[in-house]
Amino acid sequence: MIPLAHYLILSGILFSIGLAGVLIRKNIIVVFMCLEMMLTASNVALVAFSRAQGTAGVPVYDAQVLSLFITGIAAAEVAIGLALIVAMFRARRTVESSALNALKD
Amino acid sequence: MFETSLCQILFYVLAALAVLCAAGVVGYRNPVNSAMCMAVCFAMVAAIFFGMGAQFLGIVQLIVYAGAILVLFLFVVMMLDIHNESKSRGSLVHAAICLLIAGFFAGIISWVSISLPGAKDNTCPAITLCESAGELLIGDAHQVKEAPAAAPQYGGCLPELNAAAAARMENPSISDADAAKATSIPDVKLLGKCLYTHYNIPFVILGFALLSGTVGAVALARKIRKD
Repeated sequence: MIPLAHYLILSGILFSIGLAGVLIRKNIIVVFMCLEMMLTASNVALVAFSRAQGTAGVPVYDAQVLSLFITGIAAAEVAIGLALIVAMFRARRTVESSALNALKD
Repeated sequence: MFETSLCQILFYVLAALAVLCAAGVVGYRNPVNSAMCMAVCFAMVAAIFFGMGAQFLGIVQLIVYAGAILVLFLFVVMMLDIHNESKSRGSLVHAAICLLIAGFFAGIISWVSISLPGAKDNTCPAITLCESAGELLIGDAHQVKEAPAAAPQYGGCLPELNAAAAARMENPSISDADAAKATSIPDVKLLGKCLYTHYNIPFVILGFALLSGTVGAVALARKIRKD
């Protein structure tokens, strides 16, 4: 079977790619996609932990419930975030984060 | 044995594809390509969930992430008519620094995971639990019985799913013969039991959060009249 460490490494790599995307990309929609990827990476780690800490071969379902909550909150967050992006596009005609420099000058 | 090795090969193939598609999300200039890569990445993660025996979460991952959220993203991308990202000067240095930070982070997580006890010799935590319980607390003998849960080998293999134990957990009055007949874990049933007993109130609050999120999204995205 696959050791827990490999699941954690997969989760860490997915999280880091998401982090890199949040830092590198300027398009806010893609930044948002990368944020979703980071949440998914945490889900992978949680489900792996639920299997690893289970007693007598039954997973700990508290971790999976937490993972379900993360999915639900992510859905609400996407709805709000995309509405904010639409509002920003209406106001500035762009979705690039480098255009948000009204306080700079 | 064949089944185990197939599971392992599938996991590594799916993990490699998921990482590749995740890199595609960051790498593509066109947001539509990024969204498609994200869909494939989430589908692969859902398949990994299935492999871990978390069928319900796999389905939720497919429906919510790869279905609803992706469509929402694509809808906004199409609606806003976004052009490809413009290349600006100094972006290469910026990207290199960001990649360095992310690589450092990935390195730390990988190093910590690999150096977890039991990660290298692939020992199963459930098996080593009893053997290691004695050496955990040397001074106090009666505490050993109370705290055997802290298995030091938690980095090793995931324990095999035990259908009989799950059947007994689902229905405590089941006879041993009936429990032994169980072939698969009733994943959805056990998850639902946990969700609607221990986490009932947080679940209701989650429903309110989703409702307020929907209302907030409509309020934010509507056209503001100038009068």
